[in-house]
Amino acid sequence: MASHPMTPNSWHRNREGLGIWHGRGKVAATGVGTSPTARRWDEKPETSMGALTLIAIRKAIEDAGISPSEIDGIVITPESTTGVSNDPNTPPPEGWDQVFKMVDYPQAGITRGDIDWILVNMPELTNVQFKMEGRGCMSVSFTTAAEAVARGLTHTCLVIRGWHNLAGRYYVGQGAAAGDTLAGPQKYAGLWGAPACAGTAMIFEEYCNKYGKNHDMMAPFIVEQRKNGLMNPDGFYSQHRPEMITVEDYLSGRWIAKPANIYDNDLPIQAALAVIMTTAERAKNHRPKPAYVLTHAQTRPESQGVTPTLESWERLSDKMGRMLFEGAGIGPDDLDFENMYDGFTLFHQFHLEGLRFGANGEKGRGYALDLYQEDISITGPNPVSPSGGNNGNGRTRFWNHRDSILQVQGRSPSQISKPANIGVSGSHMPHMCDSLIWSSSPD
Amino acid sequence: MAILISFDIDGTLEFGDPPGGITLEMVKRAQDLGFLIGSCSDRFPSAQKSLWEARDIQVDFVAAKHMLPDIRQRFEADIYVHIGDRDLDRQLAEQAGFQFLWDHEGEAEPWLEWVK
Repeated sequence: MASHPMTPNSWHRNREGLGIWHGRGKVAATGVGTSPTARRWDEKPETSMGALTLIAIRKAIEDAGISPSEIDGIVITPESTTGVSNDPNTPPPEGWDQVFKMVDYPQAGITRGDIDWILVNMPELTNVQFKMEGRGCMSVSFTTAAEAVARGLTHTCLVIRGWHNLAGRYYVGQGAAAGDTLAGPQKYAGLWGAPACAGTAMIFEEYCNKYGKNHDMMAPFIVEQRKNGLMNPDGFYSQHRPEMITVEDYLSGRWIAKPANIYDNDLPIQAALAVIMTTAERAKNHRPKPAYVLTHAQTRPESQGVTPTLESWERLSDKMGRMLFEGAGIGPDDLDFENMYDGFTLFHQFHLEGLRFGANGEKGRGYALDLYQEDISITGPNPVSPSGGNNGNGRTRFWNHRDSILQVQGRSPSQISKPANIGVSGSHMPHMCDSLIWSSSPD
Repeated sequence: MAILISFDIDGTLEFGDPPGGITLEMVKRAQDLGFLIGSCSDRFPSAQKSLWEARDIQVDFVAAKHMLPDIRQRFEADIYVHIGDRDLDRQLAEQAGFQFLWDHEGEAEPWLEWVK
């Protein structure tokens, strides 16, 4: 199986005390390309995850107003689902090789994002020299590309992530549940098939008990997420289910792992995103306004038991906030919006509080669900998740980054009313997250 | 004899995602026979209502899937049936005291025999 180097660990800004990021304001995102979406793959080559990826790449290049030959780098997240998937050796469906050129990995373009597969199927990308895998999450690909550009390893880099969703149920019959025996960490955490949101639900419950909150207080956030997502013409819901959720709908949701209900879980879809990242100098010649990167940061779980704790989520999301502000040379009150991850919705507030977003310099932990009762819309003083996130657009982990770029470029379909000068996006969990600060200005 | 039929949507009805084998014609036929009809789905209730309205069908109820017991309480009937495509449909139907039909069994419209 062909594979390319993954991000060197030394590139990740994962501790405090590193000071201002060396690439601050020297790297920018410009072109953005988003594929059409679908609920599931219908097994036709032309609607595969790979096909969607090619569409997204071509749209990003066109959006940037550059020639494909200017692209000299690719960073991709090869994993294209967190749910059920094919065995890696599953051959492609009949007719696949009549539409796409093949590489030696049979699932390339189907269930795996693959740089070599992209290159053989996009002959117009003639000058790609830098190739790297930002594994696990597109957030890692964004931070990797930012570092690669800042380090002079690529000057015009595609950042790519595709998502596939096969027929069937997303988390049924996969991983620990698929085999006759269990090994590794799954033998402790996955034996009885707790749904994916169960860990988040337990910590959310603990959070509510600690701060005197309740699940009903999530409703305004859920409604706002869908409202923002329905403004996005590229989102799954706006394309396929343009239905607005009500507070009553949300509160009537079936418990999946109480207090997480079905509408706290994001809907798996097929989709792909490509973004051009380049030097600040070259960005001036691209068509869209540059979205400058001021810094990036990473958290990873501390060694502990089999499931995270409230304390670790609070400690690590606090650390994320401090690292981002240190690297960017800004403070919480400089954030005009936040687009942190929401899949599952019940952990969004941990990110928000770690950043002290909307805290007015006063509040500590435990205020976010109160903030949700205030004006968190795109026209208000504290726009929370203007992208609509996964909950408003379908499960991808990229709508938040995409929208942060578009917000500071001034062209988001859910553009916030106040000037969008500085914003933040990051995915995924409160204790395991890669985030970036985006700015309309390099300074 | 009063019969109430609850349809799951995705994977069961032809306008579901994925589409199922129960057609609007079948639904209308049941309604014309005087059955109480509606949907109990994981689509949120206001969306279910919109889906039926867009197809010009006035249903008697829409509800979240786990609210089948509430439907049973609200409506008096001799037979309560839920039709769906997942084990969860069967589990919730049986817990609520509904007969359960798989989507493919529903396609044969067995209820037409029940009223003879």
